[in-house]
This record gives sequence, C-alpha cells and structure tokens, in this order.
Amino acid sequence: MASVPRSETPSTIPALTAARPVIWPARVHKTLSNGLEIVLVESHTIPKFTGELFFRSGNAVVAAQAPGLADMTATVARTGTTRRTSREIEEDLRRMGADLSSGAGADNSVISFEGLVDFSNELLGLVSELAQHASFPIDEFERERRQLIEGLRIERTTPGFLASERMRRVLFGSHPYGTISPTEEQVAGYTVERLKDYYRSFYRPGNALLVMVGDFAPEKMLERIETIFGSWVDVPVEKAADPDLPDLPGRSVYLVHLPGSVQTQLSVANRAITRKHPDWMKLTLANSIYGGAFNSRLVMNIREEKGYTYSPRSGAHPLRQHGYFSIGAAVRNDVVAAALTEIFYEIDLMRSTPVGEAELDDARSYMTGVFSLGLATQDGLAGQLATATLEKLPDDYLETYRERILKLTSADVLEAAQKYFDSAHAQIVIVGDREQIESQAAQFGAPEVYDAQGNRI
Amino acid sequence: MTQLNIPIESTTLPNGLRVVISPDRTAPVATVGVYYNIGFRIEPRGRSGFAHLFEHMMFQGSANAGKMVHIKLINSSGGVLNGSTHYDVTNYYESVPSNALERVLWLEADRMRALKVDDENLRNQRDVVKEEVRVNVLNQPYGGFPWLDLPPIAYRNWSNAHNFYGDFDDLDAATLDDVQKFFKTYYAPSNAVLLVLGDVDTDEAIKLAERHFASIPSGPQPQHADIDEPPQLDERRGVVEEKFGTLPGVAIGHQAPRRLTPEWYAAAMLDQALHGGRAGRVYRRLVLEQQIAVDAEGGIHYPVGDLFDYNGPTLMVTRILHKPEYSVDQTIAAYDEILDEMKEKGITGDELEPIKVKFRSNYFSMLEGGHGASIPRYGLMHLLACFSLFDNEPQLVNSILDGFMEVPAEAVQSIAQKLFTRHNRSIAIRQPAKKGAV
Repeated sequence: MASVPRSETPSTIPALTAARPVIWPARVHKTLSNGLEIVLVESHTIPKFTGELFFRSGNAVVAAQAPGLADMTATVARTGTTRRTSREIEEDLRRMGADLSSGAGADNSVISFEGLVDFSNELLGLVSELAQHASFPIDEFERERRQLIEGLRIERTTPGFLASERMRRVLFGSHPYGTISPTEEQVAGYTVERLKDYYRSFYRPGNALLVMVGDFAPEKMLERIETIFGSWVDVPVEKAADPDLPDLPGRSVYLVHLPGSVQTQLSVANRAITRKHPDWMKLTLANSIYGGAFNSRLVMNIREEKGYTYSPRSGAHPLRQHGYFSIGAAVRNDVVAAALTEIFYEIDLMRSTPVGEAELDDARSYMTGVFSLGLATQDGLAGQLATATLEKLPDDYLETYRERILKLTSADVLEAAQKYFDSAHAQIVIVGDREQIESQAAQFGAPEVYDAQGNRI
Repeated sequence: MTQLNIPIESTTLPNGLRVVISPDRTAPVATVGVYYNIGFRIEPRGRSGFAHLFEHMMFQGSANAGKMVHIKLINSSGGVLNGSTHYDVTNYYESVPSNALERVLWLEADRMRALKVDDENLRNQRDVVKEEVRVNVLNQPYGGFPWLDLPPIAYRNWSNAHNFYGDFDDLDAATLDDVQKFFKTYYAPSNAVLLVLGDVDTDEAIKLAERHFASIPSGPQPQHADIDEPPQLDERRGVVEEKFGTLPGVAIGHQAPRRLTPEWYAAAMLDQALHGGRAGRVYRRLVLEQQIAVDAEGGIHYPVGDLFDYNGPTLMVTRILHKPEYSVDQTIAAYDEILDEMKEKGITGDELEPIKVKFRSNYFSMLEGGHGASIPRYGLMHLLACFSLFDNEPQLVNSILDGFMEVPAEAVQSIAQKLFTRHNRSIAIRQPAKKGAV
C-alpha cells in the first residue's frame, strides 16, 4: 500500500539527475578468410536474436540496364533453394519461430531475419542457403513479377511516393539515384536469367556483412557462423558507377497532378552529403533544430502555430555516393503557398541567424538521448551497428557519437545551414490536384507539370 | 520453453491511480506511460472523433506546463513522446534517458491534474487532426480500409459502429466545454494506470509516483457505458468506393470471442493458422498458390489493435487485395474454401506445434519493441496497461502464454466451426472508381 502522500506537488520542473553511462556491450568484429565481414553483439533483453545479411550492392549497380532488378532478385531469392521449396522455407521459418524478409535499396541488398535462439543454428543454415543456393523457380518469379506490377500501380496513386519519385529525378537526373522505382515495362523486361546473373555476381562473401544482435555468447556464435558460412566462395564484385550529377537550376517548381486530391504533398530539397563527409554531424544537428524533431522550428511553426499540416518533417538522407536534405509536409490545399513561405522563412532564418545557446543545448541533448534509446533493443542496436559498419565508418563511431555531438557549436550549425539548406537553389515538388494548387505553386516559379505516370503535361 | 519472469510491482494510490513498475537496468533509459480507460468507442454521440481530438489537446497545455512545454521538455531531455487513441484506451508515453524520469512523471501528473487549454489551441488541433485524417485516410489509396469501413457495416450500437477518426462536421462542432467535460468524466486518476519501465529502482519509482500523483484529487468513476451488440442474424455487406487504388479490396470480419475466455485462446491459435504470415493458410492459398490475391493478411482486432487491447465487441478480420480479373464473389468463395476446410478437417498437431512456437516468439518481440519502434518496451507497457485496466492483473504478462500453449487441436476446429458462420460475419468491399489506371 502506498504511504501517505505529501499534500503539495512541486509546481516547478524537476531537474535532471546525474546521467547513468551507456555501457557498451562487447562486440566481436571479424572478417573470415572468404571476405565475409561479421559483427556480433550480445543483448539479453529477450530469448531471441536478430540479424541482417547485407550485400553492398543494390539497385544502383544495375540501374542503367534494369532499374529495380536488385530488389526483385532479393524478393525471389527467398522463394526457393536447391534444397527447399517455397512452402518448405515458409513452414521451416514458422517452426523456428522466425521471421525473414529480403529486399534491396539503391546501395545494398539484405536478408533480414529474427528468431528464437534455440533455433539459431537452423535459421543461420537457412539464411546461408538463401544467400548461396537460391534456385529462382520460374513460377515464383512470375507470381512476384505480377505482384510487383500491381504494387507499382498502387504506388502511382500515393502522394508520398510520387513526391519522392519526382524529387529524386530532379536532384539526381540520370544518375542511378535518380530512379527509385522501375516502370511496368522495365519489370516486364526482367528475366529469371538476369536475376540469376545478379545473384551470382553480387551475393558474394567479400561483398557481404553479417550483423547479429541477441541472446547469445558472441565467441560461440562466431564459431557457428564460421562453420556455416566458411566454405562460401568469393569472387570480386563490380562497384556501382558514379556518373556525373546534373547541374541543378535555381529554385524550381515541379507539380505532379493527382486529380481529386484533397490535400497537397510538399517536398523541398537540396543535394547534400554522405555520412562520411566531415560535415555530416553538423548537418544532422542543424536538421534536428530546423525540422527533424517534434520540438523543431518547422513543426512548431506550421503545425502547432498555424495548423497547416499533421506531420511536417525534415531529414538528411545519406546514400553511399551522395546525399540530400529534404523537407516534407502534407498540407491543406488552400495553404500551399503559405506553407512554402514558412518553410523558406525558417530555412533563411537558419542561414542568417546563429542558434542561441539554450536551443542548441536542447538539440544536442535530443540527439544524444535518442541515440541512447536506439541502443536499448536488439533491433535498434543492430540498426546502429549496420549503419556504422556498412559505410565503413571508424571503429569507434558509435562509442564517440555522443561526445562528438556535444562538441558542436552554434557556428557549426550556421555553417551547415548555409552550405546545405540552399534556399536559392532548393527544388520544390508539389503533388496534388492541379486545378486547386497551380496558381499557388506558380508564386515560387513557373511549374513543370507531370501526370502520375511521370509524363510531362 | 522459457518461463517468463519479468519483474512487476504494482500498487494503488489512495486516489485510485494504479501504478505498475517493471525495472530492467541493462540500458540507462526509461519508458513511462499513462493509460486512461477511455477510447474512441465511447466518445459522446454527435462528437465522432472526439476521443482522438482530445488526445491532441492533452499536448496543448496543463496547469504548470503551457503549450509546447511538454514536447520541449521531453525532447530537450533527450527523449521522445507520443500518444495514441485506441478502441478502449488512450495512452500517453515517453522514452527518455533515465535521468529525466522525475521530470516525465511531473509532466504526466500535471496534465492529469488539470488541462489548461483555450479556443485557439482547439482550433489549431482541429486543423491538425483534419490533415491527419486526410493524410491517413482521405488522400491515400485504401485509407481506412478496413478499419473505418467495417464497423458501420458490422455493428448496430453507435459506440461500435461510428467513424472513429471523426466526421469533419462533428470535429467542427466540438467546443472547449466538451474538452473540459470529457477530461472531468474520463481522466480521473481512478480511471488510469501509470507505468514505469526500464532503468528504475522499484521503491524509488513508487515514491516518485506518490510524490507527483498522490495529491491529484480523486474523481467519480465514469458510468459504465453500454457497448453491447444485439445478436447478429444475417451476413452483413457494404461497399465503399476506392478513390485512388487500382485493385478491388475485400475485408471479411467475424465476431471474435471475449478476451481471456477459453475460446479466445483457441481463436488466437486459429488466427495464427490462418494469418500467420506467408506460412498461414490464407496467404499461402490466396496469394502463393491460387494467385487470386496480391496481398492477404489479418488478425483479431486487426488492423488498429491486437489480441490484447480490446475490451468489447471486435472482429477477426481478413484483408484481401485481389486481382481485377477475379470477381469479389470468386475471391470470397476461395476464402470460404479455406474456412470450410478448417471447419471440416481441423488442424493437426504437426501444424499446431509450429504455430505455438511462432506465437511465443512473436510475443517476446512484442514485449521488447512492439508498435512504437523508438519506444523500448512499448509492447510490455501496452500489455501491462491493458491487463491492469481491463483485468486488474498486470502479472498476467508473465503467465498468459501458458493458456495459448495448452490449446488442443480440437479446440481450434471447434472455434472455427463456431466463428465461421454466415450470420457471424460482415464484409466490406472496396471498389475502385477507376479501372487499372495506366
């Protein structure tokens, strides 16, 4: 039973107590003789483990011939091996209490898995089989191809997708990063042979990274992994091309016409930098102050003061060769111009006026705190390790992350904003019903108008 | 099998507030939640969407923490926060480095004590909520399918059947007076539970809870709301136009058993047999084998809730997007074959045992993470809250798995026979306005 309460509750905000340090769990980082890189960390929160087997090649490496082919390869790779049918794979996974998924983005392909530790040997065996002995059954391929085409048709009615697609095309042009999704015709051109080619070329141990976090002893787990993956044969892998990027014009407006829209999706972006760039931390801190947190300036302005939108956010997006900074908001149709005005007002304020100490301090605390939260679950830990290792960041990148954030200054934020929040060259994509929004869009430049299929109209 | 032994300490303050502490000191972060025993099911008539609009108002200012102070204080302490409205509960939660624990409790206590909001705040959040409804429902392919489509078809009691996100006219009609009345009626300490999880010392956490919450005056318990449904006599069907998407959708809902009954445990295994991912019978048959559908998934209290977080009538739902060359009737007939087979032949131990393994594995993952990816132990918090508010027994978190693991194969067949009848089901059809827009 509770003790007798105090009669008064404090009306002032309690201070923070002394922070407890983050204790870094022991990490095993090793590369096998066939080139497979392995990162293992123990985490005993639940009797499970989670893992990701990455290949450092994705859609970008085949963009010139067949956009999206890496993703399709990963999708079909889980539907059959030389030893198991699709149904056997799914039922084996269930028997092990496991989940598995596969896919590819621009830079990486990945097989993600998680399951009960009691079955870790068996699950790793299956993952190894999918990585080395996928059989690409023709009927599974045809089924997946049809599902992909139906999925693409639905994506072409989704404002968020249409905004990202147009923005990436504007920022990166014919560079592989300029295409986020294949056309139906391109998907129709896929063949099982092309998938197998991709698989043989890029699913190789020297191109791979295995990250695992869970309720296991790392040294023992490493032995098992060596047994299961040790005989995998390596061949050299071709790197993705990095053709020249298009010259970007000054501020320009692109309107994607989606008839019947009762809301408008706004996207404003500039090309920026990768995670390896020396300015990366400065940019992320500036982003957090601008629009990366609930408590950020943009959210306060266009949501909490003006009520234009539900979930405005900005983000710094690192790809392997390049990056971009973007702002997104789905706004009421009659405030398209007003919302853009505020977006640019806040950008220009960040570029012209140094952030005060109190706001800076809040933002640094936010960044370091959220980083710690990300280490408290198996999934979160695996994600952080993957980020650091995939891009070959320094070994102590995670351990030193918080102290590096805490050292950043108001001048650093100003510098990042001036370099990367480039309002004069910002690209603006607007997705909505042309009749309702075009005149507002035109206040920011004569819009190039496209339909939802990507045709200029 | 791993026997669960999650440390759970609970107490009730003199004002009726339940307090549940679950320490785990491996990482220096704490998760705090306050759950109120009120969801969108029993919001006032003529005020559809109000429970959710009210949730937004809880971030607009309280006695000693004005607008933006909650968000600013949590973010600047290195934490994240949010709230969400469900059928039968509304929650507010924060994850923070554990040195901010007392600050979080102070904030939650302050808004449990008194809401301090004005007309300007209400106008602002009404606008924000409308954009939320547009971005999630009105301007998205398959928005609200089937969570907003099925209730008006399946139910006759307004509490269960109305538009939970809110008709815009109703949102416009909401007043500040409604806000304060709703707060008085449903936000009393005795209608809530406080949860503190993670890097805390149990005794200290209880002391902090007393310091900040014990002086909040107790209020009257809200009257018991009538959420009962009259018996369903026939299959119910409805059609909703799909403005954007190109594929027809069908959602079939069967009235599900009440929580914690023997039938409920069996229905959970039945659900896993049918909807357990790509190995489940529904996806395997409709998507992988017959290839009538391009997607098929479902669950009990799906898709905006789960097996544990309802406390009234709900459905076991299957959501199907099918190829346009198949008719709705052909799709439903193929689905019915799956159900009929389960009713006639039941399930073998060879199928049920892996289902139990998978169920157990899913349960562990839910405890650690759950729906809020950035909130460590969101799932454990959510379960503890529901077991506290609905059943007064948070310890069920440690023992509930046993009931599922003991379900015999025959019980799965029996519950299939009982649930899968025409007069126990409702069907929502999403019909694309435009055919194959290419």
